Amino acid sequence: MISFLETWHITLFSLAVGLASTLAILPFGIVLAWLFARKEWPLKSVAETIVLLPLVMPPVSTGLILLKIFGRRSPIGQWLYDRGIEIVFNWKGVLVAMAVMSFPLLVRSVRTSFADVNPRLEQIAATLGASGWRIFFVITIPLAYKGIIAGALLAFSRALGEFGATILLAGNIPGQTQTLSLAIFNFVQTGNDPAAYRLLAITVLLAFTFVWCSEWLLRSGKKS
Amino acid sequence: MLLRCRVPLANFELDIDVTFDARVTSIFGPSGSGKTTLLDAIAGLRHIPVGEIEVNGRTLFSSARGINRPPRDRGIGYVSQEGALFPHLSVRKNILFGANRDTYRKSKDISMNHVLDVLEIGNLLDRPVTKLSGGEAQRVALARAILSHPQLLLLDEPLAALDVSLKERILPYLRRVRGEFAIPMLYVTHDVSEVFALADWVIMIRAGKFIEQGAPRAILPSHWLTADPEQSQVENIFDAVWIEADPNAGRTRVRLECGREIVIPYMARPKESSLQVRIRGDDILLATHPPAGISAGNVLDGVIRDIEIVEGQAIIKVDATDIFTVRLTVGAVQALGLAEGRSVYLIIKTRSCVVL
Repeated sequence: MISFLETWHITLFSLAVGLASTLAILPFGIVLAWLFARKEWPLKSVAETIVLLPLVMPPVSTGLILLKIFGRRSPIGQWLYDRGIEIVFNWKGVLVAMAVMSFPLLVRSVRTSFADVNPRLEQIAATLGASGWRIFFVITIPLAYKGIIAGALLAFSRALGEFGATILLAGNIPGQTQTLSLAIFNFVQTGNDPAAYRLLAITVLLAFTFVWCSEWLLRSGKKS
Repeated sequence: MLLRCRVPLANFELDIDVTFDARVTSIFGPSGSGKTTLLDAIAGLRHIPVGEIEVNGRTLFSSARGINRPPRDRGIGYVSQEGALFPHLSVRKNILFGANRDTYRKSKDISMNHVLDVLEIGNLLDRPVTKLSGGEAQRVALARAILSHPQLLLLDEPLAALDVSLKERILPYLRRVRGEFAIPMLYVTHDVSEVFALADWVIMIRAGKFIEQGAPRAILPSHWLTADPEQSQVENIFDAVWIEADPNAGRTRVRLECGREIVIPYMARPKESSLQVRIRGDDILLATHPPAGISAGNVLDGVIRDIEIVEGQAIIKVDATDIFTVRLTVGAVQALGLAEGRSVYLIIKTRSCVVL
C-alpha cells in the first residue's frame, strides 16, 4: 500500500511542476501561436512542423534528444552547469520534459483561437490609431482568451501525463523526480497494485476535470 | 484628394487614377468591381504595388517616393459593411476606442455628445454590442469612426447588410453626419438610390477600371443603364420640403425643389423639413390625354425631352418642371406614338413616392 502522505506528496509534486511548466511555456506559446496564425515568414511551415514534432514522435525519443541537449557533456548542458544549473535527474528535468511535450498542444490550441479572431477587427482598430501592442492586448488576446486558457489546461493535462521523456531526462527517483505517471509505473513493476490503483484514480479524476474544463471553454468560446 | 493605384486582383487589375474634391464622393459600381479593395488600399490595410494616395494634401502612400504610412497614422475612419464592432467591449468602449487619438484634432473639435445626439445612440452606451440591432450597430460603428477625428471617412456599403426598410431609416443619419461634421466621405455602394441620397460627386468603376466621374445627376442613371442593363434601376430622386400632412387621408403634401407639389404617403412633420423623395422610373405611367377617374394621387403634365432606347427598353425624360425619367417598353412607346416634344401626363401613385 501507499501512505496518504506519500500519495499527497506525489500528487502535489506532479501538479506543482506541471503548473510551473505550463506557466513557463505560456508566453512563448502565445507569441509563437500568434506568429503562426497572423504572420507570413520564411520557413514558417518548417517551424510549425518542428513545434509539432513532440506530439507525434515517441516521447522516449524526445527524451533522448533532451538528454543529449541538456546532458553535462553537451555544450548547452556544460554552459548551464558552469552557472550552477543542472537539468538532468532532478525536478528541473521533469519541468523541461513536461514543457517540451506539452508545448505543441498549447500552440495548436492557441493558434486556432487566434485564427478565429476576425482580422477585420484588428484592422479597424489600426485605423482607429491603435498600435500593434494595443491591438494585441486589447483586441486579439481578449477575444482569444478562452482558447488560450483551454490550450493551457490541455497542456497542463498533457504535462501531468508525461512519462517517456521524463524518465529519460529526470529518471524515476522517489521523492525527487517521481510524478504520478512514474510512480504508477514503479508500483506496477514492484507488484504494489493497490498503490498503483489509488494513483490511477487520481490521474483519471484530474485528467477528466481538466479536459472537461478545456472543452467547455472551447465550446462556449465558439458560441460567443 | 488624389487616388492613383494599381493592384493586381484575382480576376482583373484594379487601376484607378482620379482626383476629386467633394464633401461626399460615392464610389459606385457593381459588386466585385474592386470597391472594397480600393478602400482597403486607402486605409493602408492592403498592400499596393504601385500607386499614390493623397488626402487633404498629405501623402499617405507613394510607391515612387517610398512613402507608406501605417493604418494607425493615416487618419482614416473606416466603417465596413458588417460594422466590425469589437464584440467584447461595450458600446461606450467601442465608441471611445479611437477617441484619444489627437494627432489630427484641430480647432473644429468633435464632441462625443454631439455625435451621440446626431446618431441618436446616447441610450445604447452601456449595452454590450452583441445586443444591438443591425441598424444600431452601424450607427455605433459610424460614431466610433467619427470620434477618431479622421481626415476622411470611408464607408464601405454600410447599408448593404440591412433590409430595405432599415436602410431607409439609416440613410437620414448618414445625411445628418454629412451636414453636421466637416469630414469628407468616400462612400462605396452599388445602389443608385444611395448615391443620389448622399453623394455630391460620383466615381463609377467597373471591373477595377475607372469609367466616369461627375455630379450624380449629370452621369446617372442613363449611363449606368447602358453600363449594366441587367441589374439596372431607373430612379428619380428629388429634394423636397414638407408642407402639410393629413393623417386621416393618409397623405402628405411636399414641394419639390422645382416648385411643383406632389402627394406622398402620410408622414408626421419631420425634424428637418427638407427630405428626399424617390420615385422609381418603373412606377410612373404615361398618358397622352388627361386621365379622369383615376386613383393615383399625382397627375403631372409635361413634355417629352428625350427618348433613349437601350436593349428593348425606352428611357424617357419628361420635363414636368423637373425632369422625370420613366422606363417603358419600346412597344408602349410605339403604341402611344411617343416622340420628343410631345405633351404627356405623368401618373404617379402616392405609394410609389418613397421618402429616403
